[in-house]
Amino acid sequence: MAKKNDKTTFGTLAVAMFWLVILSGILLAVPFNVESPYLSVSSMIVTNPWAALIRNYHYWSSQFFLIFSLIHLYDHFHYKENIGLKKGLAFRLSIGVLIIFLAMITGFLLKGDSDSEQARQILQTLAERVPLIGESLAFSLLGHPESYQLIYVHHIATFTVFIAVIMIEHSRRKYWPPVLDFVASAIGVMVFSYLFSAPLHDNLNPAVKGPWYFVGFQEILHWLSHPAWSLLLFLVILVLLYLVNSAKGKTVFLSKRSLLVFTAFYLVLTVIGLFFRGERWQWKNPWQENYSYEVLNNFKSPIVKLTPEFDLGTAIASPVIQGRKESCLACHSETHGLTDSHSPEAIGCVSCHGGNPFATGKNQSHNNMILIPGNLATAPQSCGTTQCHPEIVERVPTGLMATLSGMISVDRFVFNEQDNPDELANVHHLGNSAADEHLRNLCVRCHLGNPKTEYGPVDESSRGGGCLACHLNYSPEAEIALALAKDSIVNAHPSVSLAISNNHCFGCHSRSGRISTSYEGWHETTIEARQMPQNDTNYRLIEGERVFVKKQQDVHHELGMECIDCHHSYEVMGDGTLYTHQENQADVQCIDCHFDGVAKTIKAENLDNESAIIAALRLGNISDKEFLVTGKRNHALVNTFVENDTAFLQTKNSKIKMVLTRPAEVCTRSNVHSDLACSSCHSSWVPTCIGCHNEYDPNEPSYNMVANQEQTGGWVEFFGEYEAKLPSLGMRTEGEKTEVIPVAPGMIMTIDKSTYTDDADNSTIFHRLYAPVAPHTTTKEGRDCKSCHNSSLALGYGEGKLEYKITNGKGKWSFSPLYQRDVNDGLPADAWIDFLQTRTGKVATRSNVSPLSVEQQQAILTVGACLTCHDEDSKIMQATLNDFERQLQKRSSACILPEWE
Amino acid sequence: METKNRRVFLKVATAGLLAFFVFIWNKLTLNHIATSNSQEATLPLNKNKEVQFFDRFIIVNSDNKTTVFSSHCSHLGCKIDKMAEGKLVCPCHGSEYDLDGNVIKGPAYKNLTMVNSTISEDGKSIIIKG
Repeated sequence: MAKKNDKTTFGTLAVAMFWLVILSGILLAVPFNVESPYLSVSSMIVTNPWAALIRNYHYWSSQFFLIFSLIHLYDHFHYKENIGLKKGLAFRLSIGVLIIFLAMITGFLLKGDSDSEQARQILQTLAERVPLIGESLAFSLLGHPESYQLIYVHHIATFTVFIAVIMIEHSRRKYWPPVLDFVASAIGVMVFSYLFSAPLHDNLNPAVKGPWYFVGFQEILHWLSHPAWSLLLFLVILVLLYLVNSAKGKTVFLSKRSLLVFTAFYLVLTVIGLFFRGERWQWKNPWQENYSYEVLNNFKSPIVKLTPEFDLGTAIASPVIQGRKESCLACHSETHGLTDSHSPEAIGCVSCHGGNPFATGKNQSHNNMILIPGNLATAPQSCGTTQCHPEIVERVPTGLMATLSGMISVDRFVFNEQDNPDELANVHHLGNSAADEHLRNLCVRCHLGNPKTEYGPVDESSRGGGCLACHLNYSPEAEIALALAKDSIVNAHPSVSLAISNNHCFGCHSRSGRISTSYEGWHETTIEARQMPQNDTNYRLIEGERVFVKKQQDVHHELGMECIDCHHSYEVMGDGTLYTHQENQADVQCIDCHFDGVAKTIKAENLDNESAIIAALRLGNISDKEFLVTGKRNHALVNTFVENDTAFLQTKNSKIKMVLTRPAEVCTRSNVHSDLACSSCHSSWVPTCIGCHNEYDPNEPSYNMVANQEQTGGWVEFFGEYEAKLPSLGMRTEGEKTEVIPVAPGMIMTIDKSTYTDDADNSTIFHRLYAPVAPHTTTKEGRDCKSCHNSSLALGYGEGKLEYKITNGKGKWSFSPLYQRDVNDGLPADAWIDFLQTRTGKVATRSNVSPLSVEQQQAILTVGACLTCHDEDSKIMQATLNDFERQLQKRSSACILPEWE
Repeated sequence: METKNRRVFLKVATAGLLAFFVFIWNKLTLNHIATSNSQEATLPLNKNKEVQFFDRFIIVNSDNKTTVFSSHCSHLGCKIDKMAEGKLVCPCHGSEYDLDGNVIKGPAYKNLTMVNSTISEDGKSIIIKG
């Protein structure tokens, strides 16, 4: 054999492979359907293991035919100085090499997957750019774009016959390989075919590559803006081959050397193309994220199972998924519970769960599967694939629920690591500072990127979970099935849908600002769980340890509205812009629904696609409908619509239809309160916290919320008092515009940084910061006049006795605080400012929020002085709303205005 | 002398015959392309969607204007079927285009080909003369 090989230089092996290719090709023609190549190839794999085996056989014999032909060529060049073939034969041999590659690439095209489709386009474009005959050549080679007929004809006839003729001619009419070579080849290829399946793209993975022998060429094309020049490369190689075979002397030497250099260069390019190029041909190192998904996916090659682990009848009856058969549905044929758009009949299993749709054994099929899709790390491979929701998956990581920008920025500001609280930040870029460690220990569990790692419904203990955080719902059947499932196939699948309830938001939003709990009318107390009154519906235990007491619920909640009835998809899933704080990302405002004047609307046909789909899924036929639009960013509110000049809102889940009321006349009739945010009057309470202390304990059992693991040493929070109070008033300045907004004592606290082992700064930090709040405790009626004008709490002085006294004809306000004055700054413990004083500098958790100025306090208290005698509903006080100055001028001598020092 | 003439004659005749076949082949193929490719495509138009990807075309709706582009990348004809960061991106070699079809990133250097189209009267479909 070795001796023979020396003589034939692998040519006999190539001949053997050629005959194996022919034989397997004839057999493969039986199950192959040229009218739907992708479906027929995937059907072979899933439903006909013997056909799959012969397809592999055809593939591997052809690959080895190419390899041995090239080695044969090399060996000839290597051993013989001058080959000296006749010119005609040398010419035909050079053309033969080209034809071998054409036969190979047409075989690659005939599997009809996305790799093939793109390769076909490239081949067509290149052929079209051949001068003079390009168009004819391209069409004659590839035929009509929607048909594989001509490609098939050329593959099985034109090229094959040509190769056979050239091969027989140049081997001096030897038709058959030596028996030993043939038998050895046949057995060797069979082993390969059994162990490694021929490639077939799942049409989901975004990385597109040509066959291995053209990947180097794909790399060259990637560098060429004018790829037509690459045709010259082919020409040069063919000429060099011709010269090596037929020329003499120095020309042969130079040609050989050129070919050798090119081959070495091409090998490097091939390695680059195969192992270092991912999606969109971008450079990808093995240690980069998603390397396995984008690069190694091409090498998926399951072993053939001649007796698959499923019933072939079920596999045959399984639906066709986006032009292909998936083996998953042969076992998971009874899966149900998903909505129509996500049902296995529509999108199969692989679209969400990954794995290998063309493997026929459990382990191979489940290899690299995404058990819980929707986590942001893998969402681009599941929810975000091209045919599904790529735009949304791209957007979500930019939203605040994924970045936690505000939380991080404020925390760093409070730890004196940042000059202002308004820097953009991202939870994925936390460092090792005291603030960042504090965030890791106590805060950053609630970002969408925190993966869901266990099956089960979303509940009050859930944090993060990517898309599933909001879109996952378990039916009772699915919950029972999950509880019973142990090594058996679960048929009752949870649904992924638009049925997003308040419970989905609750896990994260019942903490910190406590919007979810406030909205439902629950206020957190410092009572311990064991002290909670039993069987008292005024108390609620959350997460087994947090005791809440009943307070006034939000009027919208009372009416049956849920979070998503106000908050639309671009607010919740981000709109692609990075925002620092909640109020920046929030789009919907009270006046969008409770507008005064003409409604701002958009017609259904002008909706953006996302809003149109959501509206149609929720409301049915939306043609002729007109929706309200937000004033801030012009997003449609798809559950609000205008009918006969009346605006309605229909709750998204419960379908309660309600008329949208206009603001009361008192809110809009004059300019007196025009710079007040609606929520500064229409909030019944807000949770507050004062007297909090933070310190680092190196021995405390703690938790790293980014790595999701226990650790020793962490920041510990000693909280002070939780109280539900009416919000205080602060000023927000944006450009020229100033607005009175509700604020609350958010961070009146001390931080002992000296205990943080890694921190050189040994100072204890004290802060007195109020935070702007969105209380979500909306009331239909606004708060009464005195609750602002005569309230120390509203003005920022904290709780205490605010009195207006008239002595000797002189009016004077006085204040005695309820809480003791803090040693750090001499202000009452709950105050923002001292009585009739103001503060600047680090005063709030936003740069643009400040306490009321002294003038503003005086103006408010002047009205407050009136209210000490006049009822707020009195004619006089009502008249002041129209023109306060005029009323002042008309006042009687009994009216004593306050004097200021 | 005679032998040489005959050889020359045969060579010329063979070359002529070959050229004749190439001529016929070119003609028949071009004629066939002309007869089989002159179809119009009618596709559903969804004005709500900024970008719609079809097999051969990309429909872009922006600023109350609907533009149809060939979905084939101007570099090597790969089908563009995806947007990333608001750009049309080619899966094969990473060329990028803006929504006006202009090249932002190579290897492509030509803009996407704009295709003539008319919108039906009811506004629900678009007729493309590809």
